[in-house]
Amino acid sequence: MAEKRKAMVKIKPKKYKVGDTVKVDFIVIHPMDTGMKKDKKTGKIKPAHYIDNITFSFDGKPFTTMKVWESVSTNPYFSVNYKVTGKGKITVDYSDNQGEKNSKSKKLKPKG
Amino acid sequence: MRKLLLPLAFMVTVATAGEQFAMSDADRAMYKEMLENNPAEIYVEEGGELLEENLGGDEALAKFLGVSEKELPKYIAGFPRYIKKLGNVVGVDQVLQAMEVEQGKKKTKLKSGKMFSMLAYVKSLANDEQFTIDIKADEHIKASYALGKKTFETPRGGRGLSCLSCHSADIVGQVLRTQPLPDLGKVGAGATWPAYRMTKSSLRTLQRRFQGCMKNALLKVIPIGSKEMVGLEVYVSTLAQKEKQPIAIPGLKR
Amino acid sequence: MLCLKKNNLKGDFTMERRKFIQGLFTASTLAVVVTPSALMAKDEKKAKLKGPNDMSFEDAVKVITDGKEVKDSDKIKLTVPEIAENGAVVPVKVEVDHPMTDKESVTAIHVLNTANGNARCADIMLTPANDKGYFATRIKLSKTQEVVALVALSDGTFIKAGKSVKVTIGGCG
Repeated sequence: MAEKRKAMVKIKPKKYKVGDTVKVDFIVIHPMDTGMKKDKKTGKIKPAHYIDNITFSFDGKPFTTMKVWESVSTNPYFSVNYKVTGKGKITVDYSDNQGEKNSKSKKLKPKG
Repeated sequence: MRKLLLPLAFMVTVATAGEQFAMSDADRAMYKEMLENNPAEIYVEEGGELLEENLGGDEALAKFLGVSEKELPKYIAGFPRYIKKLGNVVGVDQVLQAMEVEQGKKKTKLKSGKMFSMLAYVKSLANDEQFTIDIKADEHIKASYALGKKTFETPRGGRGLSCLSCHSADIVGQVLRTQPLPDLGKVGAGATWPAYRMTKSSLRTLQRRFQGCMKNALLKVIPIGSKEMVGLEVYVSTLAQKEKQPIAIPGLKR
Repeated sequence: MLCLKKNNLKGDFTMERRKFIQGLFTASTLAVVVTPSALMAKDEKKAKLKGPNDMSFEDAVKVITDGKEVKDSDKIKLTVPEIAENGAVVPVKVEVDHPMTDKESVTAIHVLNTANGNARCADIMLTPANDKGYFATRIKLSKTQEVVALVALSDGTFIKAGKSVKVTIGGCG
């Protein structure tokens, strides 16, 4: 069974209305190994292991897709904007070059 | 002051150091913004989950310490402190270990990711609080503070260096290995660790940071949780306390 | 190794410290004598190590734009530190001053670097639902180099903005 990746989706600001543009922040714990560094313990090169695709969706409808490369920092952070259309769920689906697939969601609760 | 005859290679390094590496306001703003999305927050959250699942959460911690949950934040802001039933001045991590023993659970090593996460979570309960360490409260904390200060000031190791060699008031601002040396009190070192270390891409604690520093200065590394380390943490935390630096966990460091 | 900008150490120069500093001097002159070829060979080996996606900046731009002309534009606000405290976590923010409607929009923001083995950092495909041509992330930079935001607009054109980031490798602990 794949180890569950720890991740966070944050919406900023905390209070928003329908029609507002919010910031959607996504952080995930992931080594983002480039495939060029040695494992200090074994002395062997750590194989490349990095997130390569991310899709941001609202209620199942994608609004942003990303192609990510190993030049992105370990435990990466990604941020985009989103115009709030109503109550629903923002889902971030992400996969890595070793075939691991994961997902993290955050509910959108606009006031008014 | 005696002039140091610096070899040529070093002179090149020294010549390019200094103002060039001072952070601009714009850069400082960028790094400050990164605090809002600190990967370490995930570890803090994990620490809270571990505490809840394994030990009974904040409720059990407050009970163990003999305080109400409401008093917990200010009480945590007083660590390291003397805990009567443990007979020692201890850090939060040692309290958590004691709780494990009391509950018949397997002890988590002080130097482990799990413990760092739990420690970070518990300390974060005291966020925005001022340190409440009272070094006159009892004989034990008095002794711990004195030991910590002594450890900070005693030169040792092959180079005869002490923490004070790089962290005294008159050294502040000088550049060492491209980094301007900070005033530990003013930057609130004690208040902003555990922190995410960018160069290590992981959550690091204050005592672990001390160990890294000792390694670089060729001082024998002191074990985490030892009397000297706890004393050092007391001492360095009081430096932040004097400068009224509020607790802000997790921090973000180079 | 310690490099102090000014010798302001108060207190006694203990015998050990004096010995160390003398030792430093000797060690460094010795270091100069140690065969440079041994050091070079190690460095060469490092350079030969290639990443799985290595691509130069020029090639990456060609792939993305399909050879189309790319103009510098001040519509792109690229925020990166002038001096990065470390090369492992360099913050990057891109803001494009351009409409985001169904008729006119920023279709993609490509974040590139100029000296890593792989010039590509991230390719962000945006839609009008984003409402703003904005993206932020943190990247790894192997050394001092330029970070470039290459932006694709819905009319098929490309614009870009680049900034140099000085990467410091130093610090203790």
